[in-house]
Amino acid sequence: MQFGAQRVLDALDVEVPHGITGLVGANGAGKTTFMSLVLGLRPPTAGSVDVLGFDPQHDGAQLRALLGYGPEHHIMPDEMPASDFVKHLAEVRGMPRSEARGRASDALWLVGLGEERFRALGTMSTGQRQRVKLAQAIAADPRLILLDEPTDGLDPVQRDEMLALIRQISAEYRIDVLLSSHLLEEVERICDNVVALDAGRLVAQGPLSLLVGDDGGVIVDLVDVPDRPGAAARVVELLGGRGFDVRHDGGAGTRIEVIGRDPDAIADAVRDAVVSADARVGRIVRRRRRLEDLFQGAER
Amino acid sequence: MSDARILDRGYRRFEGERSGLRGSVRSLAWHTARSILGLGRKARYKIVPVFIIVIAFLPAIAFLGLAILIGDMLQGELRPEYWELSRFPLAVFATLLFTAFVTPEAIVRDRRDGMYALYLSTPLTKVSYLGAKVLAVICTMSLVVLAPSVFFLLGFTFQSQGPDGLLGWLGVMGRLVGGGLGVCIVYSAVSLGASSLTDRRAFATIAVILMMMGAFTAVALLVELAGMNDNIRLLDPLRLALEIPPRLFGDRSPDFEGVSTWSVALGNIGWTFVGAGTVAVRYRKLAAV
Repeated sequence: MQFGAQRVLDALDVEVPHGITGLVGANGAGKTTFMSLVLGLRPPTAGSVDVLGFDPQHDGAQLRALLGYGPEHHIMPDEMPASDFVKHLAEVRGMPRSEARGRASDALWLVGLGEERFRALGTMSTGQRQRVKLAQAIAADPRLILLDEPTDGLDPVQRDEMLALIRQISAEYRIDVLLSSHLLEEVERICDNVVALDAGRLVAQGPLSLLVGDDGGVIVDLVDVPDRPGAAARVVELLGGRGFDVRHDGGAGTRIEVIGRDPDAIADAVRDAVVSADARVGRIVRRRRRLEDLFQGAER
Repeated sequence: MSDARILDRGYRRFEGERSGLRGSVRSLAWHTARSILGLGRKARYKIVPVFIIVIAFLPAIAFLGLAILIGDMLQGELRPEYWELSRFPLAVFATLLFTAFVTPEAIVRDRRDGMYALYLSTPLTKVSYLGAKVLAVICTMSLVVLAPSVFFLLGFTFQSQGPDGLLGWLGVMGRLVGGGLGVCIVYSAVSLGASSLTDRRAFATIAVILMMMGAFTAVALLVELAGMNDNIRLLDPLRLALEIPPRLFGDRSPDFEGVSTWSVALGNIGWTFVGAGTVAVRYRKLAAV
């Protein structure tokens, strides 16, 4: 996409499979532009987009009848009751009028607003508004929903509930979800796939299980004890002597990374080295790849 | 044995037929029309549209009342032509109020409360979205511009004072509807053009009033005081649109005596294009997401 002199989502080749896909990246990474391409609201400057077998530019109306969309903003018609809001959008998305009322009600019950459905949107909390946005996105039975920052403005408990709802909707009703977020932790929690963008470029894509998880080896944090100088260096030396790939920032650093594929052998070696060096261990954890490592890798 | 069944409620997949783009447009137009008229909203939103519609009907009600009271005596000079009803000061005032105060609601609100982005995530495109809005505005404005004239015609018809013969009656009705729709189209274009430039309804209202009344006053001064040619009246959208009904009836109002019917038609088309063009330019640049 070309915006004046600025080029975003350049040379992007992305395939989004079924399930929940997290579209991650910092603000300005191109997430919203990506969504507008999927919705057919912007034409790509070059290349092509295929969503559910449709070209969003040429078959936009047909495609969008199968999509649900929850925008990032919390602005809504304040005086409108939630049930009318969801019903109206279900009708505009193609639900027959006779169906729309019932489906709006069902969608609001599903997101936990059954008792609140006749309340005006202006009287609802941010958490309730986020649920209403989710309800309107699913009311017309879409095949794919696009949720732009669905947990924005929620407290930790509300965030957990929202993520659980999204997971439930995807699992129980087989509705695919494209979820945009700048919170990597929540994407790691519920997504099956990830598309990571940074400054308009693709950083990584693929199943979450391949992009994050056990990275082989452990991280050992030693306690810095004043009367035992050089203990960390001694541990590194002993582990290196046993043939392990060891990373240590040198000097007085107390963090040691031991890289290897056999966790039992590594654990035994670390134990022996720590005892021999008379070092004190603060904690030992498995080395894990996290989503933020993808971005740090891209920066490097 | 009872036929009663417990139906399983709850969210489920939908296997039926969807209404498609036509259903989306119909739904949005209906929703917008209701919103413009304040239906389904708090009472305070109904006050202005209802007040304006009542004002618009007053001339028709007054003349019908007279017709009922004094019967055939209300003929000749006393009885207005069918097309004249929309030119009564009260009717013009109502139309101006509706154009300035009520019509902007159709599009300004969507940009302010985030509905515009949501609508464009549905089968609606920018063109079909605006089409639904125009349809809603023209239909609701017809309640002020067209409905009183139709009511007037029907009232006189039931009083046996209407046009002679079915063909004559249909001819009058057709021209009334055509003229009324013409006025609605021009006013809708002007109002939506002004409304598309701002996200504040109050600013849109001021813009419409300034443009309509400003052009009206300036043109009146130029013609009356500076003695300029009648064709300068083509710059006055308020009066120019109201010249459509008399022309369809083969008549012309005194102010436009020296202006040809072609000029009136082209002038109105021009104003419609100005309004529609403004909307088109504004919405072409307006990003939804």
